[in-house]
Amino acid sequence: MATEDARYRLSSQYRLWSFSRAELASLREKSNSLARASISERLSRASSSSEKNNNDRSASTSNANTPDPDGASFRLPEFLTVADESLMTTFYTTQLLGAGSATGLSDEICATAAAFFRRFYITNSIMTYSPQDMMIVALFFACKAEGWFTRVTDFLKMGSFRSLKKQPEDILAGEFLFCQGIRFAFDVRHPFRPLIGAGMELRRLGDIKEERIRAAEERAKSILRFSSLVTDAYFHYTPSQIMLAALSLADRELAERLIHETFHHITPPANKGTPTNGGDGAPNDSHQPKGQNKEAIIGQQIRDKVLGTIEACREMMAHEMPERSKEHWQSKDMYQDLILPIKKKLKKCRDPDRSNLVALQRARREEALKKGDSDDGDPEDRGGTVDDDAAVFGEAARDAKRRKVAKGLDDPFGGPL
Amino acid sequence: MTMDLVEQMNEQEKRKYVKGKKLGEGTYANVYLGHARHDAGVLVAIKKIKVQKEYKDGLAPDAVRELKHLQELLGHPNIISLLSVFSSKDQNLNLVLEYLPLGDLEMLIRDVDRVRYGTADMKAWMGMLTRAVWFCHDNFVLHRDIKPNNLLIAANGEVKLADFGLARSFADPGTRMTANVITRWYRPPELLFGARHYSGAVDIWSVGLVFAELVLRAPFLPGNTEVDQINLICRQIGTPTEDNWPGVTQLKEYTVPSEVVPVWGKDAYMSRFGGAGSDGVDLLVRTLALDPKNRITAREMLEHRWWRTDPRPTRNEDLPRKSAGGEEKAAVDLSRRNGVVDDGARGTKVARKLDFGAAR
Repeated sequence: MATEDARYRLSSQYRLWSFSRAELASLREKSNSLARASISERLSRASSSSEKNNNDRSASTSNANTPDPDGASFRLPEFLTVADESLMTTFYTTQLLGAGSATGLSDEICATAAAFFRRFYITNSIMTYSPQDMMIVALFFACKAEGWFTRVTDFLKMGSFRSLKKQPEDILAGEFLFCQGIRFAFDVRHPFRPLIGAGMELRRLGDIKEERIRAAEERAKSILRFSSLVTDAYFHYTPSQIMLAALSLADRELAERLIHETFHHITPPANKGTPTNGGDGAPNDSHQPKGQNKEAIIGQQIRDKVLGTIEACREMMAHEMPERSKEHWQSKDMYQDLILPIKKKLKKCRDPDRSNLVALQRARREEALKKGDSDDGDPEDRGGTVDDDAAVFGEAARDAKRRKVAKGLDDPFGGPL
Repeated sequence: MTMDLVEQMNEQEKRKYVKGKKLGEGTYANVYLGHARHDAGVLVAIKKIKVQKEYKDGLAPDAVRELKHLQELLGHPNIISLLSVFSSKDQNLNLVLEYLPLGDLEMLIRDVDRVRYGTADMKAWMGMLTRAVWFCHDNFVLHRDIKPNNLLIAANGEVKLADFGLARSFADPGTRMTANVITRWYRPPELLFGARHYSGAVDIWSVGLVFAELVLRAPFLPGNTEVDQINLICRQIGTPTEDNWPGVTQLKEYTVPSEVVPVWGKDAYMSRFGGAGSDGVDLLVRTLALDPKNRITAREMLEHRWWRTDPRPTRNEDLPRKSAGGEEKAAVDLSRRNGVVDDGARGTKVARKLDFGAAR
């Protein structure tokens, strides 16, 4: 297992949750249109069945399952756009971070929760699952993922969570769904430790004033608590790139100094004998590549590429500097002008089947109990304890539909694990 | 109900495998034989995690830890591979793992009559175990439950470290961790004394005890209780004191028998563990250093001269193996609740209960 880069590429964060900007945009597009399609179907079905109940619109009853979308009897609501969803995701990420830190959860837990939350809404629509519900699930599950297994009842009594007036079932009903949504990848790589390393490295250089380093660390940390978490930085950049971008926003010179120190042994043309080694007794000397490999790994070209990447990450995060948390995202005007109109739309286009997670969960269980096992193939399990094999959610019945739906789906994440 | 994108993706994962007969059933999970839908020759073990009665707070800690770490520790030949995850039923998690049909190291150690092995074989097994532990530590993961029945054996003889249900990431300095991890017989003195800050050295102690057990063909320190475990350590290895372990008396639960036994030197081990050879015994003694700061690290273990002196480690395909019962044994291992001393015929039947609330 060679370099740290190679190792990072095996992490779930890279394998499952890193995308190009185009990939990310298309996934969000897909989730949005899928939600529109299924909500349209459900709403029109609901509407035609209520018409049937009214008993005075016999003409439309024959169309109960395939309502005419152009029909005057039923009009689809206006759906959220991808941009609306993005805005809502960001808004609720800021709410999540606010609630988490007000409650005294650690930086890691808050950051993990934010990353989970944003991951969840890549393949799920705001119209399908309420961000208010999922936000608290994200915080609860992030505690577990970070190794803090608190009881859900205790969790709900903590700090600002009390005011949410949630019941344990509200969280537990959404947890499994949430885990599925984050593809059972519970490890999030954060830039906090890299920042500690950067501080040590800067101090090792010996010619930078302590106050300056401390101020930069402080500022960078506050950026890492917000800017990288409410933007798409985690989807596009590695923890160390994010750290360097934050450091650059805090003190550009220091960040560039670090990068130049890393690449300081760049030698002119590689074939002129052995490249000069760092020779300063840096602890990582033994890991430094030799010969022409070295040029490929720490040469000029790569340095420029690294600088370019960090610049791009910096630019992304610069849109959401920590001050925006209060000045923008908590401002009443912003809420009135941007969030409220979307919420109004959302009221009408919310998925009628998924608005109540507790009820949804119960329905799935009941459906499962009725239908029994299907294609799961646990022959010996059948008739086993209920609590062992609680349920399937009606898979056989959905089989045909699933095939139809799944056809258009070319594994959006690439291969399996 | 139509399916969301995630549900569709789950279905796709699920449909890649066909679930077959049940191989084992445990408190924590059931294990099934399975194969790839596209190729019945590709065998897998499907571990279906049960909804746990005593844990009312959603997905149980074992499952969270195991999934979290197996997702990240891919690509090492000596760590069990997680091939896929899906939910088969409402709230039932399925882990698709590589199929390991030849049982575990415990089976080989115990079957004194039919399984013969020598230094070269032990060296091969220990080498694989040490590389697995090194990989965990190099990825900042503590396993916290290393023992012979968590070391499964693949069809090609390779040893695979399994069961990450007690694993956790290295803590930031200052973070408190639970001392209530690692099956008692393999638990190091710092945990028995209640240390809340510890390192990869806890796993190394367990590795040392697996090594000792390989040589003895019986557990080296089979304590019946935690107090008994400490007594055994004091008697067989030496009494931890301020002299050999500065600071040890400050640990919250530090208590040792009044009669202080000096730490045994290598010579004392030679009589019992000579089967590993002189260099092997040297390595063993270093893994069993009382003070975790003096204990050898996984990386240092790999650099030890034992691996390079004769006899060379046996090649995987030539390692002794058991022909019967392996599949079932591995299934039992995979379905067992983590961190519990084997409930079989070996010694104690006291299963340590995990404190879910406090365990971190």
